[in-house]
Amino acid sequence: MIWVIALAVWTTLLVGARLAMSRDLFRVVVGLALISSGIVLMLFSSGRVSSAEPAVIAAGEKVLPATAANPLPQALVLTAIVIGFALICFAFILVVRVVRDAETDDAEDLRYAEPAPTHAVEPPASPEGCDPRHPLDEPRTGGHP
Amino acid sequence: MAGTHDHSSGGHGGAPGVALRGHAMGLASRAAFTLLPAAALALLLWALGAFELPQVWRTPWVPSLGIDLAFRLDGLSALMLLLITGVGTGVFIYAGGYLAGHPHQRRLYGALTAFMLAMIGCVTADDLFVLFLFWEMTSLTSFLLVGFNHHDQQSRKSAQQALLVTGSGGLAMFAGFVLLAQAFGTSSISAIIAAAPAAEATPALTAAVALVLVGAFTKSAQVPFHFWLPNAMAAPTPVSAYLHSATMVKLGVYLVARLDPAFGAWDWWQWTLQAVGALTAGWAMVLALRERDLKRILAWSTVATLGTLVLLVGLPGAGATAAVAALLLAHALYKAPLFFVAGNVDHEAGTRIIDRLGNLRRAMPWTATAALLAGLSMAGIPLTFGFVAKDAINSAKAAEQLLPLVQIGYGVFGAIAVAVAGVAAIRIFWSHRGMKELPKAHEAPIALVLPPLVLALAGVVLGAVPSIARPLVVAAAEAMWPIGTTGVAGALERPFDHVLEPSFDIASMVGMLAVTLVVGAVVYFFWDPLHRAFDRVAGRLDWLGSAAHYARILKAIPRSAAFFTRGLQHGRLPSYSVALLLAAAAFLGGAILVGGGLLGAGMFDGAFAGGGLALPAWTPPSVAITGACLLITLGALLAGVFEQRLAMILCAGIVGFGSALLFLFAGAPDVAFTQFTVETVFVIVAASVLLKLKRLGRTTSIRDPRNRPGALLAALAFATAATLVFLVTGADPIDPSLSAYFSERSVPDANGRNVVNVILVDFRALDTLGESTVVMLSFLATAPVLFSLRLARGSRGKEPKR
Repeated sequence: MIWVIALAVWTTLLVGARLAMSRDLFRVVVGLALISSGIVLMLFSSGRVSSAEPAVIAAGEKVLPATAANPLPQALVLTAIVIGFALICFAFILVVRVVRDAETDDAEDLRYAEPAPTHAVEPPASPEGCDPRHPLDEPRTGGHP
Repeated sequence: MAGTHDHSSGGHGGAPGVALRGHAMGLASRAAFTLLPAAALALLLWALGAFELPQVWRTPWVPSLGIDLAFRLDGLSALMLLLITGVGTGVFIYAGGYLAGHPHQRRLYGALTAFMLAMIGCVTADDLFVLFLFWEMTSLTSFLLVGFNHHDQQSRKSAQQALLVTGSGGLAMFAGFVLLAQAFGTSSISAIIAAAPAAEATPALTAAVALVLVGAFTKSAQVPFHFWLPNAMAAPTPVSAYLHSATMVKLGVYLVARLDPAFGAWDWWQWTLQAVGALTAGWAMVLALRERDLKRILAWSTVATLGTLVLLVGLPGAGATAAVAALLLAHALYKAPLFFVAGNVDHEAGTRIIDRLGNLRRAMPWTATAALLAGLSMAGIPLTFGFVAKDAINSAKAAEQLLPLVQIGYGVFGAIAVAVAGVAAIRIFWSHRGMKELPKAHEAPIALVLPPLVLALAGVVLGAVPSIARPLVVAAAEAMWPIGTTGVAGALERPFDHVLEPSFDIASMVGMLAVTLVVGAVVYFFWDPLHRAFDRVAGRLDWLGSAAHYARILKAIPRSAAFFTRGLQHGRLPSYSVALLLAAAAFLGGAILVGGGLLGAGMFDGAFAGGGLALPAWTPPSVAITGACLLITLGALLAGVFEQRLAMILCAGIVGFGSALLFLFAGAPDVAFTQFTVETVFVIVAASVLLKLKRLGRTTSIRDPRNRPGALLAALAFATAATLVFLVTGADPIDPSLSAYFSERSVPDANGRNVVNVILVDFRALDTLGESTVVMLSFLATAPVLFSLRLARGSRGKEPKR
């Protein structure tokens, strides 16, 4: 049983990781979503996949029957799915914002914080494509009279 | 005129707003500062008369590390203290006159005082780490003093060079000290010296001693670290006379001499000291020939003297030990006055270039007298203390078998020393060259004349009556002599009974003297042609020298820093992801490798060879689960294949729906329904984002390069390592205690029958609340995008088309 699930986990993580390392920002986020799916699968199956019986206590009983599925990983995975989904949505929005502001969806072009070197030793003097509206780029005014 | 030389070249007048602040010191405050070394000198002389040496004082400082604040005053320390306070008094007086009216004179005095205290601490410390602390303090104060004329770029560079060379040597020395303290179990210097002769020369101990030697050699400007000392002549003359001839640069010699009783019996210790010392003595003297600046000539001869001192420490035998003490004293008594003389000439004639100086004896008679007295001592003429020291050296050399290198090095040193003495004492004062260029030269004020005269006179007096200096020299020599071989109830001969007595070997004495004087005179008379010839030859070899290597290293450090920084922080997101995933793979895989006993044979038999990890056995899966897993696998593979964004998210959706099916077949309907819902919304959101991106003019995805082996490797490593962790986890029997607890408490505690639900909303209610908040916040962020899509539908024309 576990070997089949391991195959699914392995493929999902492999493709997800490969996509997460690509240059296209959209694909990076899809890659993260796939990695998240793979981890959720892994987490769920670590509680052992053996029974198809839901973890519900029958009326009149006090405890779960021994044949029921393990409830603990289910509870953990349930929130993991929702949280993961929320984060992926947020990442999508970030992509949209980045594409709108930087006018590129190529991760290689996003060099605002770490501009390409302009000198063999010195740090880059004035980063190209820096946004003049950025607070750090505004000329200093005031100070000591 | 006074005080316009050392600080006039800075160009500080360029910016009127930043003109030199501060004001000149009055006579009273100068005298107050001068009182410090004078009082210390008086105290020292009184203490030497009143107490028996050695005196020890210690108090715990860092008890957890066994470090004591320990000080010990023995003969060697006393000799060094005498130089520090005696020359110090002269320097403080001299600095008062030399920089009279200088706005930063106060700063100079402050730094000089701090330096003097550091020196005093350094030569009396009896704990390695206390010694190191003071040692570094001398380096720091030396940096401030060399860079005193900080308007001058050359001065700043020299200060930096001195600090970097002695500072990195200090670091090496610190490492050596730590090793020494570990090897002997104590950091007390006297305890180490007592224990060392019996200790075995383990590799750690050898490394420790070698590192300490590196520190000592940088401080004392030995080859190959010799280049910084002449550059440090950018300092004002009082500083040069004090730090770079009489005291600080002798610290290296002091340390080596201090440790000589401990390691002096080692062959390589002797050879290293002799070779390095002889090389420095000879080579530095030859380099002096290249200079035209009087101060730099004196600086090179100082380097050569330091080399001679190191050489003498390396020689075994009592005579050499006594010679070290005698030369330490003699050198301070003639070199400091000569530096003062150079300063006077610079101060009153306006230049230190020897070509432009001549016939100054009429204008500066007292300075000329001091120069002559000190020069006689430096040349080793009888009736000076320089001669006494030279005699001690010669008898020490006669007692030992010497390496040829030592003979040559010392021979060159002796001959050119005579010539340098001639240049400093005779050429600029008695010969007529350059006379016309110096119409304004005149005698220096008394503060500049008194210190060199007194020191040089002391050299002559001690030379005429060496018995005055004898007790001190003997005490210093005894401190450098291995404990236990002297004074064992008179059973052994006391080795220092005849120290500083004339050797009475008249023939050899006169012979030596004559040879040195004649060769020295020849060098003196042919100084200019020798200078030209040597400058031509050596100028071509400069790129080989250690000064050139220093410049290269100084350039290479920022380059390599930039190289590494840019290699690690290149700013390319995909490569960062590669590094991140590789690191994760390394951690997971490392855990597997370590837990599995490095993945021994028989991996698939169910158990790893060494460790306790095992892979699960194969059990035939149910059809439903297999189908779900194959769906997931297929979806993932397709998502990796499709370039088109829409196709890709649909395939990613397949992965989600496959997971939901798996959950359904594995007894988790709640999870399955959540996954169905989430997956559906995911596809909708992703499609909306696609639409938005299309409106922003980004319809197609960027093509990755087909082959990115690094990325593929990282992905493979990450996926495999994570899956292995998963498999290994699945092979162990599960611990059901938590699940059993929830299953038992669900009905009585929470009155719920759906255990998953109870766990979420009862047992982990606060967690779930927090998670819901995260989801809400995320949707708050997402909503505007979906919202803007609806708005844009009404006014599509306004969207910018790119």
